Amino acid sequence: MTTLAHATVVMERTYGASPARVFAAWSDVEARKRWSAPADNIRIEYEAADFREGGKDVSRCIEPGNADYVATVTYVDIRKDQRIVFAEDVVHGNKRVSAALISMELTAKGAETHLALTMQIASFDEAGMEAGYQFGWNAALDNLAKEFAQ
Amino acid sequence: MTKRSTTHATFVIEREYPHPPAKVFAAFADAKQKIKWFGGPDNWDKSNYQLDFRVGGKESISGGPPGGTVHAYDATIWDIAENERIVLAYDLLLDSVRISVSLATTEIKPSGNGTQLIYTEQGVYLDGYDDAGQREEGTQQLFNQLEAFLNK
Repeated sequence: MTTLAHATVVMERTYGASPARVFAAWSDVEARKRWSAPADNIRIEYEAADFREGGKDVSRCIEPGNADYVATVTYVDIRKDQRIVFAEDVVHGNKRVSAALISMELTAKGAETHLALTMQIASFDEAGMEAGYQFGWNAALDNLAKEFAQ
Repeated sequence: MTKRSTTHATFVIEREYPHPPAKVFAAFADAKQKIKWFGGPDNWDKSNYQLDFRVGGKESISGGPPGGTVHAYDATIWDIAENERIVLAYDLLLDSVRISVSLATTEIKPSGNGTQLIYTEQGVYLDGYDDAGQREEGTQQLFNQLEAFLNK
């Protein structure tokens, strides 16, 4: 039998940049490659990137000594400078380990932008992927601040 | 500009059916069976049903009360474990306005001589058009329709 765990994880950040700039860091795959790797020894490679409603990304998270995590994203709802909703599944080795519905919302706060990221996760390896999402996205959202640091 | 908002919610529906897991699973996996119970109430117009039941395959249906709002459901299947699990993501549009996106997990487990079905829907409701309470009510109705179909 398979063991499923459902979870909702919310992360929030405030960035010193306009919503348009923060949005651009998500829509531009080159920018995303820079900030989405959660650690120095991990790199992200894209096999496909198609940022539009119905478009798909396929990315590979490569860490030495571990099987790649391959994420397939389908963009469902995109509102420029405001919101991105996408569904994602993750395959580790030859096993699908999770499916998730992720929404990212941007709200202008004076000269800054508040970002709320909500991950609704169905994890197929008990709660393993919930921990994976916590680790990966916390680090990525911290990295994202560096995009606006100069 | 439309006032943008999102509301996230999860609901769980559990049902027991006096039928084996393989029969319950088939009611989801076989397009000819699924169209008999899936979709709006009997008095709705329904069109464009399609189901390509494989990982990465699509499911869609449009429908609504005669002359009323058109509800369009579009899903992508993300995971299938035969007789055990189906995971899909779907969005729902009312007259071309996207009102929600959901991740829906259907778990099918043997229970005595029958089946326990656990349905978990993790959803984001967009721009205030719908909420989890209404969606749960509609989904309960779907599982009533499934029960009637299985009992035939």
